[in-house]
Amino acid sequence: MTIAEQIIAAPTGPLISRRMTILLGRCFFAALLVLGWQWGANAFGAIFFAPPLAVVERLYEMAISGEMFWDVWQTLRVSAIGFVIAVVLGLSVPFALRLSPRITEAVEPYILWSQGIPKYALAPWLILWFGIGDTPKIVIVVTMTFYIIFYNTLAGIRAVDRRLVNMARIMGARESVVAREVIWKSLQPFFYAGLKIAAPHAVGATIVGEFLVSTQGIGYYIEHARELSDTVGVFAGIVIATAVVLVINAIVVKMERVALAWRPLDRDMGR
Amino acid sequence: MSVPLLEVRNLAKRFPSRQGREPMPWVIRDLSFSVSEGEFLTLIGPSGSGKSTLLNMIAQIDAATGGDILFAGDTIVASGAKVLRPGLDRRVGYVTQDDLLLPWRTTIDNVLFPLEVQGRLDDKGRAHAETLIKAVGLSGYERYYPHELSGGMRKRTSLIRTLVYDPPVILMDEPFAAVDAQTRTQLQEDLLRLWEMGRKTIIFVTHDIAEAIALGDRTLVLTKQPTRIASEHHIPFRRPRNVKDIFALEGFAQVYERIRAEIQ
Repeated sequence: MTIAEQIIAAPTGPLISRRMTILLGRCFFAALLVLGWQWGANAFGAIFFAPPLAVVERLYEMAISGEMFWDVWQTLRVSAIGFVIAVVLGLSVPFALRLSPRITEAVEPYILWSQGIPKYALAPWLILWFGIGDTPKIVIVVTMTFYIIFYNTLAGIRAVDRRLVNMARIMGARESVVAREVIWKSLQPFFYAGLKIAAPHAVGATIVGEFLVSTQGIGYYIEHARELSDTVGVFAGIVIATAVVLVINAIVVKMERVALAWRPLDRDMGR
Repeated sequence: MSVPLLEVRNLAKRFPSRQGREPMPWVIRDLSFSVSEGEFLTLIGPSGSGKSTLLNMIAQIDAATGGDILFAGDTIVASGAKVLRPGLDRRVGYVTQDDLLLPWRTTIDNVLFPLEVQGRLDDKGRAHAETLIKAVGLSGYERYYPHELSGGMRKRTSLIRTLVYDPPVILMDEPFAAVDAQTRTQLQEDLLRLWEMGRKTIIFVTHDIAEAIALGDRTLVLTKQPTRIASEHHIPFRRPRNVKDIFALEGFAQVYERIRAEIQ
């Protein structure tokens, strides 16, 4: 090994010790977080900052009674319905627009402008239309997540290597096959990037929707606890919401890893 | 004489100019040539002589400004045709300078891609693909993704991906330009061996005189812009040829010199 190679190889080190370092680092930050939380509870009082132990206790009670799962299920249901609709629309609209660059140019500014509407400002009007059932919440979830999927898909389509498209056409692929086998496959990194951003937004939008109009769900639980000045309940709700988002994220990341298994590993952050 | 398999007549290309500007110069003008069935035709020209543009027009992924393309005597692309017909309905295959493999497909799935999109993927096609993979020494690499293969392996994959669906004419645009000399010689020998198996009609573009001579039955020398045919050279060497020994053959130096003089 030359000196240059040793220098390049040195920072990596043996795999085990590197993993241990990362693990220890993570434990350290977890401890820091809990300590900070406890410090907050001491400094500001339990009304503003519920102590971690009380929150854990509440979560345990909620899990035992099953109350937690009912609310989580309600929030998940609305998020999922809205999210699926947003993904279907966010994918199919760019694919449809692809067929006509002129229509795309005509339509694009309107999509951009409509994105400017503050979605939560629509809530009263949505309630007027759809009452206080799931529908207004679903509509808010769709409007909050559609744009993310839409713009990522559009960027992905625009980034497709035209030479691959031509190659497929020369080999006799019909346009529908080109769309499925070349365009869709090559925009997957963009699609998953959008999915990773949009999925937490879907849950977040559902929870805000539940603040505004609901009698169930995590958002309702948090809002109800606030009305009762039950800060522990508010914190428990936040923890549950965070856990739900983390689980969803983990699922999306797993899906991405399977779908993009063909890519070279890219953890080096461009270094 | 029999009808040529593929013929281009008075092909011309000029890229559209911006509004209000002077018209762009002709890239290609009055270019005509033909290739007969089973012939290995090599085209050679200085870089920037519109070679890629020429092949793109024949493959119909770029529109010609004028000129006809005939296949077996029938006009397939008439002068000024507005709609492109990529690959002329599978009559023309195209091996480009970049391998253009689909990065999300393994070697075998890249090779099977044309059969799959043409809806004729069957056991026979799979067996044929396996034969080709074996013939170019890629056995054992079937399940590798393109980024896991060497440059030469990707070139081989790209080559047999076109051979697998058996288009009557295959265009090749400097397919071995970006690899080292040793790999290139190997690839050239692989190509000749595969070609001996089926004697496809090939139009092979290169800027390497020795390559043009080693591979071709006939070599056309192209001029610089606008591109036309400058001269035609019959390559007298017997087949099957040995690429490594081509330099030692009697007459090689003369052909080489004649072509080199033409290019300058």
